[in-house]
Amino acid sequence: MKKSLAARAAIMVAAVLLGLWSFFPIYWMIVSSLRPEKELFGQPELFPRNIDWNFTSYRNLLELTDYPLQFANSICVALVVVLITLVVSVIIAYVVTRFRIPGKTAMIGSMLYAYMFPPLLLAIPLLSIFAKIGFADHLIAVVLAHCTLSIPLGVWMLWGFFKVMPFDLEEAAMVDGCSRAGAFVRVVLPLSLPGIVTVSIFSFLLSWTDYVFSFILVNSDANKTLPVGLASILGSFDARWGELMAGATLITLPLFILFMFLSKYFIKGLAAGAVKG
Amino acid sequence: MKSFRTSSDKWLLAAFVACIAFTLILILVPVLHAMHLSLFKSESFVSESKWVGLANYVQVLSEPAFWRAFGIGIVFALLTIALQLVLGIACALLLDQPFFGRPVIRGLAILPYLLPTVVVAVAFQWLLDGSLGLLTIWSEQIGIGRPAWFENPLIAMGVVVVASVWTWTPFVTVSFLAALQTVPKSLYEAARVDCAGPWARFWHITIPMLTPMLVVIILLRSIWMFNKFDIIWLLTKGGPLGATEHLPIMAYRRAFAQYDVGGGAAVATLSFAVLSILIIVYFHFYPLEEKDQRT
Repeated sequence: MKKSLAARAAIMVAAVLLGLWSFFPIYWMIVSSLRPEKELFGQPELFPRNIDWNFTSYRNLLELTDYPLQFANSICVALVVVLITLVVSVIIAYVVTRFRIPGKTAMIGSMLYAYMFPPLLLAIPLLSIFAKIGFADHLIAVVLAHCTLSIPLGVWMLWGFFKVMPFDLEEAAMVDGCSRAGAFVRVVLPLSLPGIVTVSIFSFLLSWTDYVFSFILVNSDANKTLPVGLASILGSFDARWGELMAGATLITLPLFILFMFLSKYFIKGLAAGAVKG
Repeated sequence: MKSFRTSSDKWLLAAFVACIAFTLILILVPVLHAMHLSLFKSESFVSESKWVGLANYVQVLSEPAFWRAFGIGIVFALLTIALQLVLGIACALLLDQPFFGRPVIRGLAILPYLLPTVVVAVAFQWLLDGSLGLLTIWSEQIGIGRPAWFENPLIAMGVVVVASVWTWTPFVTVSFLAALQTVPKSLYEAARVDCAGPWARFWHITIPMLTPMLVVIILLRSIWMFNKFDIIWLLTKGGPLGATEHLPIMAYRRAFAQYDVGGGAAVATLSFAVLSILIIVYFHFYPLEEKDQRT
């Protein structure tokens, strides 16, 4: 099927427009974080002539605000969430596919049901519970709150993975003298590695990008995660655009790096509806 | 198939029970607690609360503000879902064509979806800043003055809708693009032999073949767009004058700004109820047992 020149040109133009539409706001954010502060107030140039090689916006942000601390908070929270999610969802998904569990559809169903709930509506009662047991304004509260999203997601994705994995392989390993744990580690885990990578990526993504839970559950600057920290700079009286763009770029950077190296898993997960939103 | 038992299974099953209990407590307790809170009157999460039965619901439902917020939520959801669908399908069809540099454009088209909402909000606020924003300056240069992006109710709604469409359209694009690959190529070839143009092929092959997929996409989009909190909150805080205040923002305001935890919980519970209908429809179209077809 040969396409006419006009049709190919039209496709090219549409593709360029799509690229611009998707990338321009991100480009503008990054460029603005790199320009000298004075030029943010002048006539905007699409291609900046001057780049501020002192990275003043970044320095200000890191030296004058709690951003480094909040960066550390976000990393800690996200890593703990990934760890809990992996352990819990591997165990649940494995047992559900390998044993006869009464009422398992109801259990998984209620998890997925909750997964579809908007975070804000879960955050209000969660704050009330955490306030009563003394976890309010604590990172543990944020970790547990993120788990309400990431565990159902993990169980859902890994269930699909374990279900299609032939049981014969493990059985053979066990007949040959492996314990179930041995068969799991030697046979099931290597085969389900793509699923486990996908679940790790998306639990990280959920936790790293979450605004609502930390916004509701955390008050003090020292316990904020990055998105809430950035939003509070935005909300302050005098908007410092250079610093704000630097902060936004710093939140985005780890995601883009992950995406570049693991885009295969990203796309697979996205197509499976892994991100809530 | 499930007959094989080993001596360590006891421990595994114990761990399973612990994990399930942990997860269900974590997930179901907040939902039940929201309903519980909605039956009490209290000013904050730590102060004394008083049993009032259904009074919070009566009060909330009798307020015109509730129905206004409900309507705004529906307008926002319908606009964003319709635009996401049309744009997402168009982008998927485009990205399905072979052209030079396609992998790059495919990658770029997904990026907005990966951004944290707060970054989207900050980036749009910057583009639309009243005096320094690029779009503000551009619209001044083409002679339509400085639009009151966040002060005019209609424009503010438009801003929120465009920002949401920008961020979440890639979900439709990626899902539809993946689904497109499942349509047998032979159908298109047969249609081409019968001289069907691209438009006819799209309406008579692509859409009918992908209707089940579209239903799922539409339901998921509705479930999530109906209760988007963060993008609206970060862009407009529900303003100007409540023009973009929908139920989640109302629930938040009641619980945290108006010291009416019971009322906020009542709004949240009512949103649960509306959502549950959508979720039940979703599970009806897409039963759990078949879920692995999608992964």
